[in-house]
Order: sequence, then structure tokens, then C-alpha cells
Amino acid sequence: MGQLTLKNVVKSFGQIEVVKHVSLEVQDGEFVVFVGPSGCGKSTLLRMVAGLEHTSGGDIVIDGQRVNDLPPVKRGIAMVFQSYALYPHMSVYENIAFPLRVERASEEVIREKVESAAAILHLDQRLQQKPGMLSGGQRQRVAIGRAIVREPKIFLFDEPLSNLDAALRADMRIELTRLHKQLGATMIYVTHDQVEAMTMADRIVVLNAGYIAQVGAPLELYHKPQNAFVARFIGNPRMNMLPVTCTAVSTAGVEVDLNGQRLLIPVDGLAGMEGKPLMLGIRPEHIQIGRGEANITVTPAVVEQLGQQTIGYAPLPDQEDNFCFVMPGTQVIVEERPLEISFRTEDCHLFNAEGEAYERRIDLSAMTEPPVPLSA
Amino acid sequence: MALFRKDDTAMIDRYRWWEIVGIYLGIFAFLFFLLSPFIEGFLVSLKPLSQLFSSPYTFWPENGSFAAYFDMWKTVPGFARYIFNSFFISIISTCIVLLLVVPAAYAFARFRFAGMGLVLGAFLAVSMFSGAVLLIPLFRLMRTLGLLNTYWAMIIPGAAFLIPSAIWLLRTYMMRIPTELNEAAYMDGASQFYTFRRVILPIARPGIVVVAIVTFIGAYSQQFIFALTFNSKTEYMPLPIGLYAFFGKQEVIWNELMAASFVGILPALVIIFFLQRHLVGGLTAGAVKQ
Repeated sequence: MGQLTLKNVVKSFGQIEVVKHVSLEVQDGEFVVFVGPSGCGKSTLLRMVAGLEHTSGGDIVIDGQRVNDLPPVKRGIAMVFQSYALYPHMSVYENIAFPLRVERASEEVIREKVESAAAILHLDQRLQQKPGMLSGGQRQRVAIGRAIVREPKIFLFDEPLSNLDAALRADMRIELTRLHKQLGATMIYVTHDQVEAMTMADRIVVLNAGYIAQVGAPLELYHKPQNAFVARFIGNPRMNMLPVTCTAVSTAGVEVDLNGQRLLIPVDGLAGMEGKPLMLGIRPEHIQIGRGEANITVTPAVVEQLGQQTIGYAPLPDQEDNFCFVMPGTQVIVEERPLEISFRTEDCHLFNAEGEAYERRIDLSAMTEPPVPLSA
Repeated sequence: MALFRKDDTAMIDRYRWWEIVGIYLGIFAFLFFLLSPFIEGFLVSLKPLSQLFSSPYTFWPENGSFAAYFDMWKTVPGFARYIFNSFFISIISTCIVLLLVVPAAYAFARFRFAGMGLVLGAFLAVSMFSGAVLLIPLFRLMRTLGLLNTYWAMIIPGAAFLIPSAIWLLRTYMMRIPTELNEAAYMDGASQFYTFRRVILPIARPGIVVVAIVTFIGAYSQQFIFALTFNSKTEYMPLPIGLYAFFGKQEVIWNELMAASFVGILPALVIIFFLQRHLVGGLTAGAVKQ
């Protein structure tokens, strides 16, 4: 069992609150990813769960037991550090055996457990080498091996892949997902990389300045962000925000005015929001060249050709951020030449002035389960 | 450095011929200045005594021999004992210093505690005093403790004056050991002492060896003043005091004195040479990604 509950957890350094009243339930066997920009408190939260930081307020409960004042070992957790934290003077075997040696396990038990961990992590051939001779990915696997020999209830990962190069990171993501399936243990994973979050998580916890901005499945966060922060944090490049004014609300949705165009956005509006300024969110990947339901003309200042896609950035009047659009494949787009682009109203997100989203009418279950049985 | 091959050296390592000559001239001048007393000392040890007082003075020994290196043992029969004493005092001092300094430096490197800055500052202040300033109070202290004319009279003050700088030296080294290693060991259930013994000590070994060398040299070179003041027993005399035995009533046997100095230094050089081989650089490589 590895069920974790955070109740109103607070962490303050002097006057500054870094983690502000975070409450969260993590189910046994779940893969939960904490994600957020730097300084949002995600690592601090993880270190409190680990027992490396004192919890200023609130309760951390593992399997029904309050563990605030228990050392990490008694909490039944293990942690993998961003910097690997391997013992440089010990062989891979001794590194993995370290927690067992602390427990004074017998030599046979140690050998058996280390070898089975090494087999899972494909380190069988490396057991006698020192960490200095290993590549980054292998070192990270040793660090994971050290965590799994103790058979903890909960695994904590603190940005474990951020020191690896892009190709290796992709491999290790798949490895970690496989490991999670194989071990079936609860895993809590901190990262600032949304690709890692989207690909590995059962649920993502988006943190912003010490608060939980939203908790949900990866696709839920992408399609139904509850606020502008999550909308702009999840998805790359970031969602474009256009100022609009509400003109009418009906059961069909909310009608807004964008530069003189009347657009009907299919979201759940509230009565009495007519005339209020709103933010219209549209993701760069939902934009096409040419005319459509909603049209704007932009002048791209920079065009990035990636081969598989073409990304353009166009400054908008009165706005700090560039308007960004992503086209599939290689497109001929000339910099500094006005370009007519459009998007569909059903792809739009709508936020009020405080940044809270109006719920989109999207059936998420249709995306998570195959609509047609595969056996057919 | 490839001296004259230019093609395969990187641009940053290339020098013109006159730059290389200049560099070596500089090195030569510096080394000559530094080593000339030793060279002269060695030459003196090879000369017969009569030649030392000849006029005009010749630097180069005529019919020089190593005779002084054999005669010195006869002139001063206790000389082997003095070398042993020097060694004994330095080694015991070094052991005491290491025993106290290694845990202390770790504590100063890893933990925050009240008064830490003050204590570290006091250590610095203490090491600014030379032992000579404190000779009289130390003498009274030694007399009260009944330690005069024992080995301890030379070992204890020697070790005491070496501890502050050793703590500073080793603390700096230990601060470079990543904190994540402590945290990882803590996550794995290791106690502070277990972590210290199994993780920190092995990684800090090169730093400890450096401190051992520095302390040994320090103990070796500073024992003269303590031995002169706190000890009057011939059998406990260390080498620098023992050298006085070559000062006769009528004349000083310079050539044997020089020979004895070199013979006395030799074992220390051998020890340092062996310790130096343990200075394995880059032992922390692979611990954490930096």
C-alpha cells in the first residue's frame, strides 16, 4: 500500500510562504507528477513528503498514519535525486546495496536483491564499476536501483531526467513508465518539463506560486484547463491570449466580439457577463492559414522551420507576448509579410478577467477510451 | 608543453622562442634564489673542514667526499635517536590533530550551530599568534601539569597550534562534498555517524591526506622552539636541537652539521612522497552531476 494524503500542508521560510495550504490525495499505485515553473514550491513539497524538510503546517499522511515527525525510512519512501547523489567511492553494487547494508541485511539477501534490481534496470554488466565510469543514464539507473532495493511504498523523483540529453531523456521516460507498471508502486515525480508530465503521469498536479492550480489527467489539463495559468503552462508553444468582449450568453455558448467579429464559443457561460472583458485562448496548433470561423491577420516577425512543423511568431498591438502559430509540415511563410489565419471556435478557451476558465463542452471520455472496440 | 613543435599545439599554448627562454630564465632565477642555501649546504657537506675556512673561499669542493656522512654518526652518537624523536613527535602530533580535526571540520562544514562564526573566527585569530609569543604562559602551564621534560611537552603545544589551520583547510574541502550525498544516505536510513564513516570519510580522503602532510611538515618545523624551551633531556631532543651537538667548544663541525641536516630531512621527504601518492584527484567524479 502506498496511499498519500496531504492536508493543508504549509511550508514557510521565515516570513515567506513557499507552499500554501496544499491538499492532495494520491491513490495507491498512482503515478503523480508535480509540475510548475521554477520557484513554484514543487521541490519543497516533495522534500517535505520525503522528510528532508520540516513541515511548517498541515499533515502528511501515508496509509492512514501521520508521518510529519517520522524519518524517511519509517515513512516507507525512497527518493531519486536530480544530481543522482551516488557514492563515488563505491561500486555500483555497493551503491545499490547501501540501504540494505544500513539495515544490516545478510549477505545473501543483499546479493539477491541487488541482482534482481540490477536485472530490472539492465545494470547486470556494470555492478563492479564505479559511478565515475558510467554514462548519465546509467548513473540515474543506479540511483533508481538504490531506491527500489528497499521496496518502498512510495517513490519520490526530484527532476531525475533534467541532467540528461534529450534523446536519453526520451529513453528514460519510457524506462520509468515501464518500471512503474512493473513495480506497481506509488510514484511522485517532480519536473518542470511538461512533456515528462504529459507522457508519464496518471495525474498531473500543476503548482503555481505555492498553490495547486489544477489537478487532473494529462488530457484533461490540455483540453479543460481550469484557469489561464494552467492553459498557458500546459502545451508548447504556449496558448495565445486575445482580449475580447462578451456580447451575449445563451445555452449554445458565449458570444464574444473579437476585432468586430462575432464568435460563438461553446462554453458554459454565466448570466450577467455581457459587456465584460474576457480573454480568448487559442492554442498555436489549432490555427490554419486562410479564412475560417474566426479570422485575424498577423505579420510574423520570426518563422522557425523545424521540418515537421513551421512555427511563426507575430507581435500584436498592445500585447507583450507574440502571437504564435504552428503549422504542420514545411510551409512557405515569409517573415514581415501580412498573413491571414483562422481558427475554429470549438477550439477556443474562454477566461474571465481573473483568469478563471468557463468550462468547455468537450467529452473527455471519448478521447481516453477507444470509441470502436478493437476486436471488431 | 611541447617546446619547439608548433604544429600540433593549440594556439593558446603556443609561445615564441624568446617567450620560452624568458619563462625558463624566470623559473631558474626563482628556483636558484630558493634553493641556493640548500645547494651551498650540500656542497659544504662534501668539503673537508679545512677547506671551509680557506681564503679565497671556493664554492666548488676540491677533492670532495661523502666522508662527513659517515663521520657524523661517530661525532654525535645519539643522532639516530634525535631523528627518531623528531619523527615520533611529528607523527604523534599529526595523529592527534587528525583525530580531532576530521570530525570538527565535518561539523563546521555541514552543520549550522550557534556561535559557529565566532569559533571559526577565534581559530583564525589563534593561528595568527606564533607559538613564540605564548612561550612563557605555556611554560607555566606545562610546569603545572608536570609535563616539562617529556615528549608531551613538545607534542601538545605543537598539535594545538596546528589544529586551527587544519580545521580551516579541511572544512573548505568538506564543504565541496555535495549535500545530496548526506540527504541520500539519510533517505536510505543511515545515521549521521554511519554517513560520516561510510560516505564522507572515504570521499574526504584526499583532503585528509593534504591536511596530514601540512600538519606533519608544520609539526616537524615548529618543534624546535618547544623543544628548546620545554625540554632539557638529551634523550628526548628532536633533530633541530640535536644538531647543536655539532657545535663543539672550540669549533663548529660545519660539514658534518650540514650532512646531518640532510640526513635528518630525508625520512620526512620519503614520508611526504608516499603520502602524496594518495592524493587521488577527482575522487568525487560521478557523485553528482555538476
